[in-house]
Amino acid sequence: MYRHDVLARRDLLRACASSLALAPLATAACGHRTRPEHRDGRVVVTFWYAYGDLVRKVMLDLVARFNASQTRVFVEAVHQGDYYECLAKLRTALAAGAAPTLSHVVCEIIPYLARAGVLEDLGGYEGARLLPFVPALEQRGTFAHGDAEPLVSIPFNRSTPIAFFNARMLDEAHLAPPRTWDELLDAARALTRRAANGEVRWGFEVPIQGWYWLAMVGQAGGRLVEPDGRVSLGGDAGEKALRLWQRMVREEHVMRPPPGRDYQAWQSSNESFLGGHIAMMWSSTAHVRYLEDNAHFPVVTAPLPRDVRASVPTGGTMFVVMRAAPDEEKQAAWEFVRWMCDAEQTIAWSTRTGYMPVTRPAVERLVERGWYTKHPNDRVAYDQLAAVEPWPWSPDLFRVERDVVEPRLEEGVLEGRDAHVLMDEARDEARRPA
Amino acid sequence: MTPRSTWHPWAMLGPTLALLSVFFLLPIGVAAYESLFSWDMLTPPRYVGTANYAALAAHGELLRVALRTLGYSVLVVAGTMTLGLGLALLLDRPGRFFGFVRASVFSAYVVSWVAVALLWMWILDGNSGAVGGLTRWLGLGTVSLLGDPRWALPALAVVAVWKLTGYAMIVFLAGLQGVPRSLLEAAALDGAGPWARFRHVTMPLLAPTASFVATTSLVTSFQAFDVVRIMTQGGPARATELFVYAIYEQIFLNLSVGRASALTVVFFVLLLAVAGLQLRVWRARAGASR
Repeated sequence: MYRHDVLARRDLLRACASSLALAPLATAACGHRTRPEHRDGRVVVTFWYAYGDLVRKVMLDLVARFNASQTRVFVEAVHQGDYYECLAKLRTALAAGAAPTLSHVVCEIIPYLARAGVLEDLGGYEGARLLPFVPALEQRGTFAHGDAEPLVSIPFNRSTPIAFFNARMLDEAHLAPPRTWDELLDAARALTRRAANGEVRWGFEVPIQGWYWLAMVGQAGGRLVEPDGRVSLGGDAGEKALRLWQRMVREEHVMRPPPGRDYQAWQSSNESFLGGHIAMMWSSTAHVRYLEDNAHFPVVTAPLPRDVRASVPTGGTMFVVMRAAPDEEKQAAWEFVRWMCDAEQTIAWSTRTGYMPVTRPAVERLVERGWYTKHPNDRVAYDQLAAVEPWPWSPDLFRVERDVVEPRLEEGVLEGRDAHVLMDEARDEARRPA
Repeated sequence: MTPRSTWHPWAMLGPTLALLSVFFLLPIGVAAYESLFSWDMLTPPRYVGTANYAALAAHGELLRVALRTLGYSVLVVAGTMTLGLGLALLLDRPGRFFGFVRASVFSAYVVSWVAVALLWMWILDGNSGAVGGLTRWLGLGTVSLLGDPRWALPALAVVAVWKLTGYAMIVFLAGLQGVPRSLLEAAALDGAGPWARFRHVTMPLLAPTASFVATTSLVTSFQAFDVVRIMTQGGPARATELFVYAIYEQIFLNLSVGRASALTVVFFVLLLAVAGLQLRVWRARAGASR
């Protein structure tokens, strides 16, 4: 039972634990802020973000432009590591009552944060329901029945998985981008080369992660959560997807699983691709610009291949405003979010980074300006939105993907454990309370 | 010695007891209590009894984490002591050159774990690192030790041994200064060779030093976090998920305070068992030497 005296002790312990875990917040960990912070007469919006390199630079440029554009609001952008580090800090800060006003989080965590009641319902803010988002990228298209939930998230840096190719290697092998799983396997065989010193140029590479596996589950005709709420992990489709990876890595030896977890694996894949060590890889549309700009060979993209159908999940993050922030700060945060959704900002963000443009006017202007003619890889990413499979609105989504599924995918691919046994284990684990 | 008043010993022990209670016993008690709840820090906790322990024990995961941590510790302690002692014996000589080598070996110990981890990530990188270059030169192809579940944990142990060996060497060198030269000369006059002198004179006198090095290396290896966080994030296939990292991952990434607390309690019991075992061995040795 949940009792008031237990709650009081817990609040104290929670504040202590959070303060110890996150020393910089310790001084602030004494309850929710009620008064907005001001600087030079402007309301300060603290914005925790999680980018590095080029994306960080573009984001800071936009924040500087916003701050220079008006006199009422000042956005203070604070870097908090990668997505997972930022999320860990955000949760701790929320528990300690020291959260920022604004942040951006991966889609999979939004149902959990919404259930916890820490996100502001933005539905009542001026113009919130009228913003002309690309349907697949806003909350109602990103999540199944997302429009039945309060509007707690606004699309920001959105992406999908996409296939990248070293065009020179494809040409040498007289191959076109594979359109089916069978063609993917054939292409990976044809593109894999083994040198006399044992060095291998891999035909295919993809991080062994839930996001890519989920794309394959959809392609094989399955879904993570059934309409009745049962976590099926795709059933047979989930096992089929894992078996394809096992075959390519362990039997055919035509695919390299990159070392490292989370974004370290993505970085490793990018480096291998740019270094000419792999011919095909799956990565995020967010890397289109980076790979095009840094490759010493032509880079082409294609939609992910299909099995029984085409399917991709969406990725990236959404803006979220913290419910506990003072009203004036929340209003100021909304002004910044709305400004970021204007076509010019959306275009600047999208064209400089490779993330998808999230509003229809931005897409229309890009078409008018001939952007997609000059950048066909961006067009591929946009067209693939037709195959988006929405995430289930499930508070356990993040835990199931990260803690239940991903380690077992690694065990299946790297240790050769049976796909059926692993998925049964995962379904059993997904049913347990966190 | 008899205290003048019965409260004097308590007054002396008081500050330490207070610190231990606040920073050790209380957190362990809180963790034991929290381990009985399903709680994510943001929503109200729900009492689940021993379900968190059952979930961790299911499919053998808890046992695997415990064995992995013990295995890592064995590798680190054995490697650190062997190399530390070997280097101390080799470098226990006067002269600038030996002083320079001693300082060089010890320098790794003062570098932060983060810097060490980043350096070794580069060394072990299959594509552009030194190990990758060596394996290709040997015709073994590109080998990614950190990407292979069989080799990732030993690779992390090597990194820890590399960092801790300098410390062990310095402590052993200090211990060697306490070995009376007269005993070694007497043994030599009695016909004992270098190995016999080391085996029957140096080693017994170095036993307290070895115990100290073993204990500190064991404690450091059980606390391994930075090196895992930076180099492998517990992967591949959880092959490097040691106790402290598993606790961090459960609480901060998997949103489960209950399971993290359950892991903490099990970790505490494991440490208690290892400490008890170590104490027993020391007491047995002390008894035998009297």
